Amino acid sequence: MEAEKGKTYKYLREKREVSEAAKENLKNFTRVKKSILEALKEGDMTIDQLAQKLNMPSSEVVYFLMTLIKYGFVQTGAIDDMDEYFSYKLKQ
Amino acid sequence: MAENIETASYDALVIGAGIAGGEAALNLANNGFKVLLVEKDLSIGGKMILLSKVFPTLDCSACITTPKVSEISRHPGIKIFTGTEVKKIQKKSENNFEAIVVKAPRYVIEEDCTGCQLCEQACPVVVRDQYQYNLVGRKAAFIPFSIASPRVAAIDIENCTLCGACEKVCPTKCIDFTMEAVEHHVNIGTVIVATGFRLFDPLKIPRYGYGLYKNVLTSMEMERQLAPTRPFNTVLRPGDGKVPDKLAYVLCTGSRDATVGNPICSQICCMYSIKQAQLLMGALPMADVTIYYLNIRSFGKGFEEFYEQAKGMGVNFVKGKIGKITEKENGNLILRYEDINESVVKESEHDMVILSVGVMPNPDAGGFFGEGELKLDPFSFVHQTDLLGSPPETSIRGVFVAGTASGPMDIPDSILSAGAASSEAISYLNRKQ
Repeated sequence: MEAEKGKTYKYLREKREVSEAAKENLKNFTRVKKSILEALKEGDMTIDQLAQKLNMPSSEVVYFLMTLIKYGFVQTGAIDDMDEYFSYKLKQ
Repeated sequence: MAENIETASYDALVIGAGIAGGEAALNLANNGFKVLLVEKDLSIGGKMILLSKVFPTLDCSACITTPKVSEISRHPGIKIFTGTEVKKIQKKSENNFEAIVVKAPRYVIEEDCTGCQLCEQACPVVVRDQYQYNLVGRKAAFIPFSIASPRVAAIDIENCTLCGACEKVCPTKCIDFTMEAVEHHVNIGTVIVATGFRLFDPLKIPRYGYGLYKNVLTSMEMERQLAPTRPFNTVLRPGDGKVPDKLAYVLCTGSRDATVGNPICSQICCMYSIKQAQLLMGALPMADVTIYYLNIRSFGKGFEEFYEQAKGMGVNFVKGKIGKITEKENGNLILRYEDINESVVKESEHDMVILSVGVMPNPDAGGFFGEGELKLDPFSFVHQTDLLGSPPETSIRGVFVAGTASGPMDIPDSILSAGAASSEAISYLNRKQ
């Protein structure tokens, strides 16, 4: 198969199957991203509040939330009175 | 693979493009020799390029590394292969080695990529970022890190879903999924082994709870949290995002411990922990930092003064051996330890624990040559046959060792070692001419 420049992914698709783990990982990230962004639409939240709302371990929320900050979907808000936990909000 | 074989000749092959390999390649090239610099990773710069600051001067590590890396990248006498592994080296005769190296496909035409990161923005896949020690995610189409060299995208094909989003947005059409591995057969006059070290895997000490308790980190994970290109906005507990205020360092994690197969001192852990403690006190002015140690080995120039400076800043030093770490419900950690000065067992609570992991040999080094040809020392580092007279010499004439491939050492010593290795290599090459 001759690969057309700019569409070479089609060439590799013919030769190589995308793993189930890769597909599952994409599905999971898309789902968690959507649920975090939906939750933050209701207002600023801390990691603990997000974890409770989404019924996810806090460590997983940290990972996904920091990734969403890295890619510009979420931003860090204010820190609480005890200087312990930041709140997070949707990036305007 | 047969149609993807390329041949070339170089004066020297340098294996590993960390600070030692890079320095050795630069010295050789500056003396007019043609060098092939092979790096397994996607960027040159090794571990040093990922550090926050260096001890005892607290200079910015990236500020020292990037000009050096840039000089290496632009040197006309150095050919760099990233994402490349050495499969086999055979010595034919003096000044005549034959090496087989395999360059894995990056799926990006390096010369055409501008590093615009549009592919990264378009890619829908997120996986854990190995350059941030898994603390945050990265895309499957990604630039390894912001100061990577080459600053060129790569496709993580194992996690790519072949959706084509990256290719559609690439302005230079440099993404190419037709790429395949290329085997290079190279003739060379001399070899420098600069394969560096591996960090001790703390999973081998289950009683410290690494992997189980999310607020137990390795020193390299903390190093990333302190770097300007850090994964979080500030230092945070990975377990729940809390800003820590009572941190503990556990020295000699995987060093001076025969039970985990590493009886020797790693030489750098005391000082990098003291450095991180000082940086933490700057980043978190209200935090308490305690360092649990067996002996503080501040043997280098300015090291003792650096240690005293940390004490003066309020870092708490406890001579104690950690027995076990357990987690409380709130994510805090209880350290059970023997207070060596008082000979009593005590417990203390911290909200974050950093394991100062030791330096382990890189097992790759011995595998490039025929079995047993490149001799290793009893600790599996590359054996130096004339340690006092000519430290870079190995069991194979014409093959030299640089940096931490020969044993634990700090950055200045790695650079010195690379200077010695390149001098010996030049001398070896000149003897032929």
